[in-house]
Amino acid sequence: MNIRSPIGQTVFLLFLSCIIGFSSNLFSSNSIPWIAPELTVVEEIDTTTDEAVLVAISLEQAKSFFDDGILFVDARDEGYYEAGHIQGAMRNSFLMELIFNIEERQGKDVPLVVYCGDPGCGDSEQLAYDLKDSGFTKLYVFKGGWVEWSGAAYPSQVD
Amino acid sequence: MSRFFKGPVVLAARLILGGVFIYASLGKISDPAAFATAVGNYHVLPFGLENLMAMVLPWLELIAGVCLIVGIMVDGATIMIIIMNIVFVIAITQALARGISIECGCFSVAPESGDNIGLQTILRDFGYLALAFIVFYRQEKQLEFFPKSV
Repeated sequence: MNIRSPIGQTVFLLFLSCIIGFSSNLFSSNSIPWIAPELTVVEEIDTTTDEAVLVAISLEQAKSFFDDGILFVDARDEGYYEAGHIQGAMRNSFLMELIFNIEERQGKDVPLVVYCGDPGCGDSEQLAYDLKDSGFTKLYVFKGGWVEWSGAAYPSQVD
Repeated sequence: MSRFFKGPVVLAARLILGGVFIYASLGKISDPAAFATAVGNYHVLPFGLENLMAMVLPWLELIAGVCLIVGIMVDGATIMIIIMNIVFVIAITQALARGISIECGCFSVAPESGDNIGLQTILRDFGYLALAFIVFYRQEKQLEFFPKSV
């Protein structure tokens, strides 16, 4: 590799970034796993358990939770929320404000469902982990999100 | 394309691009988990590979930015920035085409940053591409320390 040639420099910079990126992740306090873990959708949901829960749920399970009056939290940006969201869902304001709003409404040990845009989006999982870190114990991630919910024509609202 | 850019135009382009990419890298380096989420939201990488991307890309931006400002391996850093911007444009365009409602993750990786993807983010990237081409097709090498000549 000729480091004086533009392509040689490009390869060198890419190599250097990999070395620094991987090694800094090894020693960083904010390190992340090599491969992102995914929440898997559970078959059976036991909402009566005293143990902490953080699992993914399907569209049918989400609808069942909705019918039971369980709180939904929209993890998307407010602009998307205002364009359309699951009926009665709480908007994703700043995390501390959101935590305050949920706590005021139902405390930290009552089930709640978090969702975002579509089946692969990460915002709902990220928010669920943030809420878990803040002491919430019954967290369900509706992975299908707004795309599946609106596709099924389930109750929604615009504001 | 002939090499016709020179003087302060090239230096300004180097400084702006370098500054932008250094600035863009800092938030991502300090919060790799949030950046991995932002990358994952684009749905272009399979098998949880967004984490690997989140480890390397911010450092690539930082190193390329520093190289441009300091004047080391300017050609390589510019090629890297051109490739990154083309990838960004493709990622944003496919997300918009599929109707995925996500935040850019370009500068701030905070979930409530409000920097949503859209035409403006694509145009911004084209602006950076234009600056990168100015640097790449420069006529003379001013304030460059390695390599002095190709």
